[in-house]
Amino acid sequence: MPSVFNRIIDFIERLGPAGFVVQAIVATAAGIGLLLAFILGRRAWRHRLFQKRDRRAQEIRLHWDEIVSSEWPLQEWNVEEMDRGIVETLLLDQLETAQGEEARRLLQCLRLSGLLDRRILEARTRHGWQKRAALVLLGRTRAPEVISALASALDDASEETRVAAIRGLGRMGIPDAAVPILDHLIEGRLKLPSTVIQNALLNCSRRQPSILVPYLRRADAETRALVARALGEVATSDLGEDLLLLANDAQAEVRASAARSLGETELNLALSALGALAEDEEWFVRLRAVVALGNLRDERAIPMLVDALCDANRFVRLRAAAGLAKLSEHLETILDMVGEKKDRYAMQALVSELQRDGVVLEQVSELLGPAKQSAERILLRLVRSGALRLLVSTLLLHTNWRARVAVARLLARSGAEELAPLLENAIVKERSPRQRKITGWVLQRLAEGGASSKRELVPAR
Amino acid sequence: MNDFLTFSNMTLFVYYVLSNLAYLILLLLAIYSSTRYQRHLSSFRVERIKRSPLAPPISLLVPAHNEEKSIVQSVDSLLLLDYTELEVIVVNDGSEDGTLEALKSHFQLLETDVLYIPEVVSKPVRAVYMSQIEPRLLVVDKESGGSKADAINAALNAASSPYVCVVDADSILEKDALLRVMAPVLADPARVVAAGGIVRVLNGSRVEGGRMQEVRLPRRPLEVVQVVEYLRAFLVGREGWAFFNMLTIISGAFGIFRRDLVRRVGGYRASAIGEDIDLVMRFHRHLRESGADYEINFVPDPVCWTEAPADLRSLARQRARWQKGLLDVLWRNRDMLFRPRYGRLGFLALPYLWVFELLAPLIEVLGYTTIILAAALGVLSREFFIQFMIFGYAFATMISIGSVLLEEITFRRYNDWKDMARLLTYCLFEHLPYRQLHMLWRVQGMWQFLRGDAKWGTMQRAGFQGAGSK
Repeated sequence: MPSVFNRIIDFIERLGPAGFVVQAIVATAAGIGLLLAFILGRRAWRHRLFQKRDRRAQEIRLHWDEIVSSEWPLQEWNVEEMDRGIVETLLLDQLETAQGEEARRLLQCLRLSGLLDRRILEARTRHGWQKRAALVLLGRTRAPEVISALASALDDASEETRVAAIRGLGRMGIPDAAVPILDHLIEGRLKLPSTVIQNALLNCSRRQPSILVPYLRRADAETRALVARALGEVATSDLGEDLLLLANDAQAEVRASAARSLGETELNLALSALGALAEDEEWFVRLRAVVALGNLRDERAIPMLVDALCDANRFVRLRAAAGLAKLSEHLETILDMVGEKKDRYAMQALVSELQRDGVVLEQVSELLGPAKQSAERILLRLVRSGALRLLVSTLLLHTNWRARVAVARLLARSGAEELAPLLENAIVKERSPRQRKITGWVLQRLAEGGASSKRELVPAR
Repeated sequence: MNDFLTFSNMTLFVYYVLSNLAYLILLLLAIYSSTRYQRHLSSFRVERIKRSPLAPPISLLVPAHNEEKSIVQSVDSLLLLDYTELEVIVVNDGSEDGTLEALKSHFQLLETDVLYIPEVVSKPVRAVYMSQIEPRLLVVDKESGGSKADAINAALNAASSPYVCVVDADSILEKDALLRVMAPVLADPARVVAAGGIVRVLNGSRVEGGRMQEVRLPRRPLEVVQVVEYLRAFLVGREGWAFFNMLTIISGAFGIFRRDLVRRVGGYRASAIGEDIDLVMRFHRHLRESGADYEINFVPDPVCWTEAPADLRSLARQRARWQKGLLDVLWRNRDMLFRPRYGRLGFLALPYLWVFELLAPLIEVLGYTTIILAAALGVLSREFFIQFMIFGYAFATMISIGSVLLEEITFRRYNDWKDMARLLTYCLFEHLPYRQLHMLWRVQGMWQFLRGDAKWGTMQRAGFQGAGSK
């Protein structure tokens, strides 16, 4: 007797050419069924797995101190793959934040339990994603003995594995881990995107930036730029003389990195070197130098930043303005110096940055404080240099009513005729009679061209 | 007549098989690529990007047109995003509602004279505002340009960071979305010029304070079908194309671009209907013509939650607009087809877009007509007709279920069993009757484009609370 399956096949064959479509329908329906079964089955399986894992993790946590101190027998947790995974995850998570004795204790547990050796073996013998996972985990241990396993993976044929290896080394964050990276780099054996290498170098050399300097001297042009970029991020003041040499390098990229790092060195040394770099022929070197000068927050940098404010490159001008905005305690001097330059774009960039950086609003608040006179002088200069809208807005919308009145008096004395259309427009839109009155008063004083008097403007309560 | 019908049916058959085959290949590629990405995630910590001194500043550009209901929440949530250096530039694109007023009162805005350099063309700017309480926020108020592209151009002119990220005002980014989308850029800044994240349907989920609290499926069938559609389009389509660096679109709701390059290609084309696909195509053109080695990336886990149309009329308008945008861009770039200098883009991605995306509604509508006619006239066996329809439906449904599978084995945002069961059930409705309606809307879009109607149209919005309420 033919089976049901045979009968279906007979039926399809009898259909002739249409049988092909029926076969396709059957196959597709089977596909749909399998997909549905897989999705739902997998969900159910994962649900049970996670429940079991959570339960087991709970039990392991109860014995955590005994596990770390190796008092709980290994066979209790080191047999099942799931248990091992839980313990390893917990150990590595704790290692991320642990310091000193605690870190040593956790690392010792990894060693004694064989978890570390197992991962080293996997990193050396496995392939594909298993190898990569092992490499990254090894990096998280920060154990010195894993460096050689990670270093040998830098020569792997797969780029993904090399990335995992270098990430692992980067995660260790110790100078010793930088050595294989730098050696591979100098020998031209490290074929990876530069940012990945740079990131790893940054992490590893942060504690000892001087480790990069000898390699910088030996490297070819491309590698020099890369190592210099890393050095630029981690440099400290004790690298002073080395950085001066880099500031005179023939390669613009290296000079730019030197500029970046000089911001971290001894002030006198940095100022003169950065001053020179701020006049470099390459715009990005000037840009880096100007950013570093701004970060110094020293008044001796002001003349250089003011010069940079007149740079032909827009980015340099904007960064110089940002640097000057950070020196707001010397604002009067800065405004004088920029005014002397008679460069409209320079003043525009500065005024814009002072507004964005909140310096103008700070000065408005100062109108009510002890530094009132200085704030008035600065704000008057700013009004005449183009910060009209912000001050009119402050007059209309400042949260402190006394500040509004102070601004009204200031604007009335400014003599800036360009304010008139803005104020007229504000009066038309303004709903509050009190605000209209004040705005009208400012407008009137401006039209008269006279100075204000406190008696004429009494804030209504 | 009979010969025509036979020819037409044969063509349709081949077309159908090829299109489903193409999608099957994309699905397999996407599964491979996504699982690989999942493994990569196991060794990747986003916090490291946050701490990295190499992470470049980003300007978030937020075009807003009549977004009164959601703008404050949206900006608040953007300002809370995890990223080292961020500025948010909101452009009020001639809104007729209280969008600007809502921003003014919530963020205590003050009009200012900050530098605005019109490097790319946009409609005149009325005012630029800064906030008294949030220094990272800048609001540009401009005359309506009638397009999102024009508003983004205005934001570009005010932006000061090397990377810009365009975000829709009616969307919510997950807290670490920027860190995740920047990962490929940081890994290879010289090559990666743009990257897009995934856009998911917000409707039905619980949102509080501009943050996604609980991911749920929407109630209305029309919205659930869109969830399936988005999963298929993003997880399968984009992932598959990005695998071969042939991504032709980064969603306008969430994408990151190198600002210098956007400016170099002249910013967004103000008259573009699909400004997102238009910009990416111009990137490809510019970079291929200049012989650059570049990459346009898709990252599947940074999520942007967006409100999908909840009524048929809004959905019809949206889909018609997308079709108009596609037609507009493909027609403009027709010279890129089969030209060696444009490589696989000209030989694979663009022909695919022409044949299986742009012309799909025409071919399908024509196909349905001729196949029914042929069955009625007896040219085609009715039995075969029914079988063919069942096969087409079942195969397409399998692809949809495949995209849900992809979601399930990778990102699993829908944790509730009931939601998963409903999602799978709605896979059965995506290709009947939703697909047919969709085709008609798209044909309508093409017709509107040919008549010269390039309007954006409006969408009824519920705001985050409304869209998210269960």
